[in-house]
Amino acid sequence: MKNRQPAYQAEPANAPRSAGSPLATTAGTLRKRLPLTVAAVGALLVLTACGGAVHADSAQGPSRAPVSGGTLVYATGDTEPACLDPIVSGNVPQALVSTQYLEPLFFQDENGEVGPWLAKSWKWSKDRLALDITVRQDVHFTDGQQLNAETIIRNVAYIKDPKTLSSTGILAVEKVASVEKISEFTARLHLSEPDNALLEHFAQVWVPIQSQKALARGAEANCLSPVGTGPFKVESWSKQQEVVLTRNDDYHTPAPTAGHSGPAYMEKIIWRFLPDHAARFAALQSGEVDVIDVLQPQNAVAAKADPALDTLIGSRPGHVVNLTLNTTEDPFNDVRVREAFVRSVDVDAALKSIFMSTVPRSNSVLSSITKFNRQNPDAYSTDVDKANRLLDEAGWTARDSEGYRTKDGQRLSTTAIQTEAVLVPVSVFEQFQHSAKAVGFELVINQEEPASFNAKRYAWDYGISPLYYTKNSPSVLNIVYDSAHIPSVIKGGYHANNNGLTGPAADAIDQALRLAATTGSEKERGELYAKAQQLIDKQYLSLPIFDQQTRLGFRSDVEGVRLLSPLGMPTFYDTWLDRS
Amino acid sequence: MSLDTDNRTTSHSIAAPATRDTEARARLKTVLRLTGFRILGAAGVLWAVATLAFFAMRLVPGDPVDALLGGPGNNATEEVRQATRELNGLDRPLLVQYGSYLGKLVTGDLGDSYQLREPVAQVLGEQLGNTLVLAVLALATAWVLALALALWSARGGKVATLVGNLLEVVSAAVPHFWLGSLLILVFSVSLQWLPATSGAPGIEGLILPVLTLAIPLAGFLGQVMRESMLTAMNSPFAISSRARGESEASLSLRHALRHAALPGIGLSGWAMGSLISGAVVVETVFARPGIGRTLLQSVLVRDVPVVLGVVVLVAAIYIIVTLLSDLAERWADPRLRAA
Repeated sequence: MKNRQPAYQAEPANAPRSAGSPLATTAGTLRKRLPLTVAAVGALLVLTACGGAVHADSAQGPSRAPVSGGTLVYATGDTEPACLDPIVSGNVPQALVSTQYLEPLFFQDENGEVGPWLAKSWKWSKDRLALDITVRQDVHFTDGQQLNAETIIRNVAYIKDPKTLSSTGILAVEKVASVEKISEFTARLHLSEPDNALLEHFAQVWVPIQSQKALARGAEANCLSPVGTGPFKVESWSKQQEVVLTRNDDYHTPAPTAGHSGPAYMEKIIWRFLPDHAARFAALQSGEVDVIDVLQPQNAVAAKADPALDTLIGSRPGHVVNLTLNTTEDPFNDVRVREAFVRSVDVDAALKSIFMSTVPRSNSVLSSITKFNRQNPDAYSTDVDKANRLLDEAGWTARDSEGYRTKDGQRLSTTAIQTEAVLVPVSVFEQFQHSAKAVGFELVINQEEPASFNAKRYAWDYGISPLYYTKNSPSVLNIVYDSAHIPSVIKGGYHANNNGLTGPAADAIDQALRLAATTGSEKERGELYAKAQQLIDKQYLSLPIFDQQTRLGFRSDVEGVRLLSPLGMPTFYDTWLDRS
Repeated sequence: MSLDTDNRTTSHSIAAPATRDTEARARLKTVLRLTGFRILGAAGVLWAVATLAFFAMRLVPGDPVDALLGGPGNNATEEVRQATRELNGLDRPLLVQYGSYLGKLVTGDLGDSYQLREPVAQVLGEQLGNTLVLAVLALATAWVLALALALWSARGGKVATLVGNLLEVVSAAVPHFWLGSLLILVFSVSLQWLPATSGAPGIEGLILPVLTLAIPLAGFLGQVMRESMLTAMNSPFAISSRARGESEASLSLRHALRHAALPGIGLSGWAMGSLISGAVVVETVFARPGIGRTLLQSVLVRDVPVVLGVVVLVAAIYIIVTLLSDLAERWADPRLRAA
């Protein structure tokens, strides 16, 4: 998963950038952009004069003591958040940046186990309708406000306020009916019904704990400068350009997996918005930025071959990137046709050719880092003979002039909607189109821009839709597979369940999922989620393709780049620049 | 302009004072009438643009409530969506929404951005300067490049004409996104002379975006300029100038240049429009803040107020620039002043 290959080499062409003030950084960048002749002469001088230093540097390698100070330039290819507080809406671009300055109550490790973070301890009531959370007594927000029981009350109220426009956060606290102060540092959450994913919800940066003083300013002000307890704080935000984060010098609440304690090494992070994939990678290659995300497959291959660059690619939790099949209409209302489609396509070949083997295959609807995920390669392997057999059984036996199967004069055909926003490129669909044709199945590809993609999705106007859902809990299955989430309140409105399966098979899935979400025993929870996945696999409601990923490329002199569990977001708390 | 035999304004100098006075009054009247029509026309154009954009944005698939909730693909439940719709008046009939939009527009209120939670006027105010700097610099650079190319290729004989023609056609045909990426590869990645992004302060971040916008435009301008330059160099006044002993260099710089510039000036209004649409691509490639990037982002998330604001603003800029280029044309071409 973490295929980071440290490659410690001095770069003669890039004069060492002095760490420290922004002025020094500018000087460093300027030096790099001198005309070629000067740069070449300089490079020659560095090469001849510091030949020994190259060896010394590589010999020292990672054993060198971390250096404090300097500015890290991060360029994100994800969209610019509309609000820096991830309570408002709550999406991946927000999670990426806010991981640097906000922290949640709990920490969830890579095995899915929940432990303390800003919360010191917790205690469930017998009926599991009340949860007492005791927070640490030594934590102050970066605006000076102390963390206490009142903080939790204010945070939940802020999430639930309709004017806040929360979408991920409000789902997380759906079952929380009220919050009560028990003592100065203990708050009691009263639930409307048991929710065994509640601690997991409070372990994501989408439900962070923010200063009540800052929240009182209202959503508008809080969006510009949310105040948390993280290793950095928001200094300024130039829209369409960058967010500047500065070090929190009083920081003392690192996550349990952190590599050190005390304040972060970096003095400043410049978080740039650089949407163009080619330009972003070029900026990394030229040393203009230190870290980039949304690293494209071809660039990941190039970065691995370049000694000046490293990569860090890791999974995100939740519902994997998959092709969801619409069972509400022909031809996917027949489970045999659904399986036939899944069996006809070759996912492995597509990942190899189009993602250049930088993305591992998933055989589970749950991400490989989500608790209770159950890989089921037998169900999702390619089997063209079986596909043909299933289609024959389903009555699609005749063929038309173009070689496609027909039944009652109707061609066996389905439409896939595709958008750049859900990382399944058209080229993958084209491969699937080709392999589906081999069994007489027509696949029509409709490329959509994000808004019309979602409009079609809401209106059930698709046969196949690429989808994913990021969440650090197996309860993500309750959101996307429970048939209660099929209807939408208004016509053409949002629905979390996109397969649309109803009837006895759906009832069985619902029952397993609902029991799994409320049981008090973790063991039984695991068994029930395993059973639910088995039922889901059997119905061929979706074709899992790969885990959602955080894909970083960075200069190899940037040390200590890590992904933080449970969402797999980058954290720069342990990061330092090996540039002296 | 003393030696220019094509100069028809000389007639004014021999006109009697009285005639000049009536003439001036008549001209003022014409100008006022024209200006009146212009203003009426501009208002009509703005209204039509605002209306078309409003209905186009609401007719394309996509729910504007998504913009309020963090963009398409957010996981807000339908309950949250409905509450948000009501909070923002999106549940009212479309015509009522249009009426209230138009009413506000007349008073100069562009509304609030769904996504950015800021007044649209403020969003545009923050970004307009960046795009104008980019567009004006690109226009100026394109002019310099086009004129230089026209001067050189019109005077340099057959080969120069051929090379000039080829350069113009190729650069005019190059798409911005391709040229931008190419310039980044050459000047940022290989040579490391210039930054790949335009976010850095200072002039060096502007060079590549300006060139990306200017080169294709220079191709267009160069083509029309060289044509009229060649025509001018072969016209009777050029021949008589040569006969009076004027050098080729002086002829082309002092006389033909003005002829070459005329169609370029006329095209500049159009060019400004194309530069702003080119800014959508260039600002995205070079990560430069501006109106173009704002427009793209807002269209993608269906942030209707911002899209409408940008469209109305760009239409206004287009109208103003067209007016300015008309005036400049009158100034550069005495024939138009007499008419």
